[in-house]
Amino acid sequence: MKHREKWKRVDGPARIFVLILSLVVWNEIMDGKKTVFLILLLILAIFPPFVLSQYWLHVMIISLFYVMMASSWNLLAGFTGQVSFAHAAFSGVGAYLSGMLAVFLGLSPWLGIAAGTLGAAILGLGLGFLCIRMGGIYLSLTTLGFSEILRIVITNEDHWTRGTMGLQIPGLFAAYSKTSYYFAFLFFAVMMLVFIYWLIRSEWGVTFRAVLNDEIAASASGINTIRVRILAFTLTSAMAGLAGGLYGHYLMLITPDIPSLGQMFLVLAMAVIGGMGSFAGPIIGSFILEFLSEYIRTWGEYHVLLYGLIALAMARFAPEGIMGLWANKRRNP
Amino acid sequence: MSVLIEGKNLSKSFGGLTAVKEVDFHLSEGEIVGLIGPNGAGKTTLFNLITGIFPPDTGTLSFRGESLLERKPFEICRLGIGRTFQIVRPFLKMTCLENVLVGIIGRGEKGQGKGEKHEEAREILQVIGLAAHEQRLSKDLTLIEKKRLEMARALATKPRVILLDEVLAGLNPSEIQQALELIERIRSQFRITLFWIEHVMGAIMKASDRVVVLDQGRKIKEGKPQDVVTDPGVIEAYLGEENA
Repeated sequence: MKHREKWKRVDGPARIFVLILSLVVWNEIMDGKKTVFLILLLILAIFPPFVLSQYWLHVMIISLFYVMMASSWNLLAGFTGQVSFAHAAFSGVGAYLSGMLAVFLGLSPWLGIAAGTLGAAILGLGLGFLCIRMGGIYLSLTTLGFSEILRIVITNEDHWTRGTMGLQIPGLFAAYSKTSYYFAFLFFAVMMLVFIYWLIRSEWGVTFRAVLNDEIAASASGINTIRVRILAFTLTSAMAGLAGGLYGHYLMLITPDIPSLGQMFLVLAMAVIGGMGSFAGPIIGSFILEFLSEYIRTWGEYHVLLYGLIALAMARFAPEGIMGLWANKRRNP
Repeated sequence: MSVLIEGKNLSKSFGGLTAVKEVDFHLSEGEIVGLIGPNGAGKTTLFNLITGIFPPDTGTLSFRGESLLERKPFEICRLGIGRTFQIVRPFLKMTCLENVLVGIIGRGEKGQGKGEKHEEAREILQVIGLAAHEQRLSKDLTLIEKKRLEMARALATKPRVILLDEVLAGLNPSEIQQALELIERIRSQFRITLFWIEHVMGAIMKASDRVVVLDQGRKIKEGKPQDVVTDPGVIEAYLGEENA
């Protein structure tokens, strides 16, 4: 009994941390297979709604949103080398399109999310097309411009979007329950991750990385680099739209903060700190940074500054992020 | 011998600099043709025109009678023209096997399973002598290994012609010997036509059927290797005072 009480006094993130850490250690000791580890992790993922307080469950849900955002951005930036700053903007497209369809046309949120995903994909296709001949900093600046344009339009068209006051939209479920949201987010995050995992290990993954490594050499080897880049742009925009749609219907109040650059840099920091170009990096980065955010909440906007500095330091000293450090350690213990 | 690639009256300038001027050339099936000339003569530019990296200002280019103009680099590759680069460009953060896989995927053929593609990539690495490095990242290879890998990647696209841009530069004599053997094997075993830029004169004399000489963008001489080296114009332009 004493044991139980002690456990209860430990707060949410510490519990999760202890559980995952023991799983990792166990896996290392047993020299376990990846699949076993993943299955255990999935089983573990069922428990949060039953062991966490409502507050920490909320943090888990937000973390899952960032997992979707950072992983899909990583697919674009870490695998095809297109460092886009419009990813948060596309999540905004998903959130606002779905939200406004629900508010003005009374469309079901689920259909709205599908429409938002499609809308983000179409806009992504257009922006990707515009950026075909751009690489590096030019592409980043163009997407940054797009992101700001979208945010300003949403802020100013307040008879449609209610601007900075935010638009109230219906939730996903008739009865509000964080447990339902948690499982919905978990389902979509896992589905998205499975898709990304499959993609980067398929032929597409090889061509994505070839384009990232050297576009000229890739095209001289018969790869249609333009198609690869546009495909990556469209797919990842759709993923951001989906994540944004879910996020909006969870918050039930959408503001221009969703498609803001602050949000974008947070996603970027999560991917960079976790490890760009790796599969697990952005997932780990999302959880660490979102949980950390809760502890430094009182800093307000300064936490983005802190993350920016950490991301900068990581980019300089450990460009492959936490995953890279880990992989190095495993290679030369 | 049928003509594979034919270029007529090709010119290309960059701003005020004329890199290639009114060049005519052709490649026949099964030949090894050397392309020589001093630095800045326009050799690599000619390769870039053929592979569609940029279009010529004037002139025509064709591959087996089909025009190459208006075609993108990947389409030209799929037609059957592979290449390597003067400054090697393997996919550095990918393994050797993946590098070769890119070439196989680049053919855009349907109906070949993942396993078969891996198997084929391994076979090509075997031929090229990199089988032991299959899982190594290409950035960890030595220069000659990187050059071999580029050749492997070009071979994987199943080309009829390979354009080799200074594959021997920076190699020591025994490595040059190995590379020459490889080139001969590519021709005899895979029946691939070769067009190669080279500064190592001994090698180009020994291995080429025909040599084309460029100087300041113009073609100044074309013929059998022994005729070219004895030509006074070539000696003056290319070999310089040192050898004249």
